[in-house]
Amino acid sequence: MQQRFLDPAILAGISGLDLVAKTVVDGFVAGLHRSPDFGFSQEFAEYRAYNPGDDLRHVDWNVYSRTERLYLKRFRGETNSVLTILLDASNSMQFGSHGVNKMDYARYLAASIFYLAIHDQRDAAGLITFDDEIRNFVRPSTRQGQLHRLLAALEQAEARARTDFAKPMRYFQEFLKRRGIVLIVSDFWESPASIIQNIEPLRYRGNEVVLFHVLDPEDVRPKLNRPSILVDSETKQELEVTPDYTRKEYREKIDAHLADLRDRTLGAGMGYYLLMTNRPLDSALREYLTLRGVRK
Amino acid sequence: MGLFAPWFLAALAGLGLPLYLHLLKRQTSAPKEVSSLMLYESRTQASTRHRRLRYFLLLSLRLLWLLLLIVAFANPFINRSASALASNRLVLLVVDNSFSMRAGTRLADAKDAAITVLSGKGAARAQVAAFGSQLRFMTQVIEDQSALRAAVQAIPPGDGHGNFGELARSVRAMAESVHTPIELHLFSDMQRADLAATFSDMALPDNVKLVAHAVVTKGQPNWTVESVDAPGQVWGKDAKPVHVQAVISGFGTPAAQRTASLVVNGKTTANKTVAVPANGRATVDFPALDVPYGFSRCEIKIDSADGFPADDLRRFAVARSDPQKALLIHNYGDNRSPLYIGAALSAAAQSAFALESINVSEAADRKPSNYAFIVLSDLNSLPSLLENSLSQYGRSGGSLLIAAGTSAGGRSQIPIFGAHIIETRDYTRLPGGYMAVGSSDSSYPAVAKANGWPGVKFFYALNVDPGAGPAAARVIVRLADQTPLLLEKRIGEGRVVLLTSGLDNLTNDFPLDPAFVPFIEQTARYLAGSERQGGARPVDAFLDLRNAKEQAQGVEVTDPEGKRPLTLGEAASAQSFQLTEAGYYQLRLANGRQDEVAVNPDPKESNLDVIPEDVLALWQGTGGKGSEDASAPGPSAPGKIREALWWYVMLLVLFAAVAESVLASRYLGTQREEA
Repeated sequence: MQQRFLDPAILAGISGLDLVAKTVVDGFVAGLHRSPDFGFSQEFAEYRAYNPGDDLRHVDWNVYSRTERLYLKRFRGETNSVLTILLDASNSMQFGSHGVNKMDYARYLAASIFYLAIHDQRDAAGLITFDDEIRNFVRPSTRQGQLHRLLAALEQAEARARTDFAKPMRYFQEFLKRRGIVLIVSDFWESPASIIQNIEPLRYRGNEVVLFHVLDPEDVRPKLNRPSILVDSETKQELEVTPDYTRKEYREKIDAHLADLRDRTLGAGMGYYLLMTNRPLDSALREYLTLRGVRK
Repeated sequence: MGLFAPWFLAALAGLGLPLYLHLLKRQTSAPKEVSSLMLYESRTQASTRHRRLRYFLLLSLRLLWLLLLIVAFANPFINRSASALASNRLVLLVVDNSFSMRAGTRLADAKDAAITVLSGKGAARAQVAAFGSQLRFMTQVIEDQSALRAAVQAIPPGDGHGNFGELARSVRAMAESVHTPIELHLFSDMQRADLAATFSDMALPDNVKLVAHAVVTKGQPNWTVESVDAPGQVWGKDAKPVHVQAVISGFGTPAAQRTASLVVNGKTTANKTVAVPANGRATVDFPALDVPYGFSRCEIKIDSADGFPADDLRRFAVARSDPQKALLIHNYGDNRSPLYIGAALSAAAQSAFALESINVSEAADRKPSNYAFIVLSDLNSLPSLLENSLSQYGRSGGSLLIAAGTSAGGRSQIPIFGAHIIETRDYTRLPGGYMAVGSSDSSYPAVAKANGWPGVKFFYALNVDPGAGPAAARVIVRLADQTPLLLEKRIGEGRVVLLTSGLDNLTNDFPLDPAFVPFIEQTARYLAGSERQGGARPVDAFLDLRNAKEQAQGVEVTDPEGKRPLTLGEAASAQSFQLTEAGYYQLRLANGRQDEVAVNPDPKESNLDVIPEDVLALWQGTGGKGSEDASAPGPSAPGKIREALWWYVMLLVLFAAVAESVLASRYLGTQREEA
């Protein structure tokens, strides 16, 4: 079946985040077979023969109609999962070489995941935005109106200051009291060792931690026609760089950086997904969910 | 060093243009924001410096290119000493070998003088040329003295008529390709007759210095046979005696008695003594020239009493042959045309033609090629077989006279001739009852002797379309209402003459007019080709070898020395041939006719009067010296010659342009790659 993915630039033209999330999620979910493996909780584990006293709500009546035997569907988590997204709102996320900058892309991503989790899965979802401080915190909840609160928090998130994982991570522990899924959305402009060192403690508490590495195409393959002065968006530091350097050495360095971060993340038992802002969001989300299902 | 055109330096203001463009287009690097400089390193020094270097090199080349171009237009020069330039001078030795140089030891003296000059020049660059009617180079530009001497010695005596205008034209053409000064040494008898019509024709270019070496300083008395009037053709065994008239001229001579001899085939047949007045002419007649059958080489010779015996004779060739047969094809019952044409031919053409008259029905068994020409008179109907055979006869060199008469009015086209008949014109209905001739081409032989046919009354004529383009017929005579009356057309090697009226006295009164006899006589001679035979031609005249380009039948020319000057390719395709030597040429033309032509030097060469010294000095002053002052804005230093340098500057402009192109393509190519 041919998939038509949504260009991030088109999403940027949609006014509300709720509509963006609905467009993305409904779009790709409608294009899939409904599978019990999808979702953040209620994950199917196995069939079990019916024993007297079992809850009849869990009997698979389809199987009974075919085999005339009673089986119960068993799920891995009996309780709903807690999903928390840690969104980097530093200045570097403001960078964009085309219609959508990294911050917008991260917002669409977070909104889509919230929509999927709350609307479709009825999981508890929360949001923490940070730069070098924690800027906003929406406590995970399944209450009515949680999705709107989260989307409003995403709308309010403004990129400022610089990224510093070390400082806010100390406070994350306080906010994440229940085990669950923690998604960190950032451009991760720090050394991979430092990132893993700061994030790894989240994993110790039994959380499933996934890094969404959002980058602009020019972060990976910068286009430089002549020797230019480059300005760091966070530190405002200036540096004169030549096209020759960006064509050769920089490419090698960024490739090594990405590979190092991915290896260290996976090595630490966490998930890692690289998302380029020119990639259709529903395609990226679909890949993530598919891979997650397989991994389970 | 200076500039011939310094005002061009005003264009230096234009140098600001590339400067402005380069500064305007100079790229400034605006700071560019990136997410993080974490992975970037500073790289500035080498590449930026390299780019700047290329940038300024390109700008410099563009400025240099413009500057050189402006300097080239300003025409810079340097003052060089004349002695330094002399070493670079081309010495051109021209030895006159025109016919007059055969007088006495003139040619040998000229050669000796040339060798003397050559010895004095040492190892200079030199070239040897012979000059008759045109300049002929004997060597390339070389420094080999022995080769130059041999070339001078090898210059043969010529028969041409010298013309200093032609010499100056050749030297002007040569000076355009030779940029060094040329020292022209002319070794000649400086004949006054060699001067060009106007002095400006003899002007020499600026870089040519003429040094005239006259081998004689004053004129010599000379008698010559200036011209001979004799027929080229004698017909039949019983022809009337042929009259030969010669003019004996003296140039700078006292009154004297000269003896003229008529020589036929090397044998003197008659002698006559004639009194030639001082510096004047006398005519001598030989009333009876008797020549045998075939071609005879004849000469009028005078006794040699001067230093130029080569011009004491004048050649002419006479051919005797049986009368040629001519065929008249007429309508059955037409007795008038044979009567008038036969009477006219026998009365005038010295029994040159024997006319055979037949009607159309008898024409089938006649072979057209047996006749010198054929007359078609008023043909009601021409059998297609006969028409075809007559057309073939015309294409292979035969000639026809067609008199349209009244019968052709029913046709749409004139047979063989091919002209379209527009309408018939009956002039008897006009008030006067006839139409006279309106205009005629007096250069045409058949019309010339009859003074344009005045008083002839034409009652009937056909209005035909002469056609257009190269195949169009030539209209020779028109009636007063512009109706073409006499037309000529070439068909292959042959000629066809069309009279749009008749040859009887029904459609006109032409046969009764005195103009009829010369018309028939000249037309017969013209159609038979007799007027081309025999006679005498001057040296350097051109002889027509063939009429039709497409005919590949070869011609044969044998020169006075018995050689064949034409190559096989020329023999198959040459239209004409230049008679370069005096003597007798034997010819076999493309139409199969044999001919012999006597060629004589130009009589002007017999006048040995020399150019006055003041005229010669004036001519020598037109080159070299005058040029030095011509274009210089200020006085030049004594003993110095200004040598223009624009040629070298333009070479630098070219190099700068190539270098700029290479650098610019690399520079811009790098930018494109980066983009």
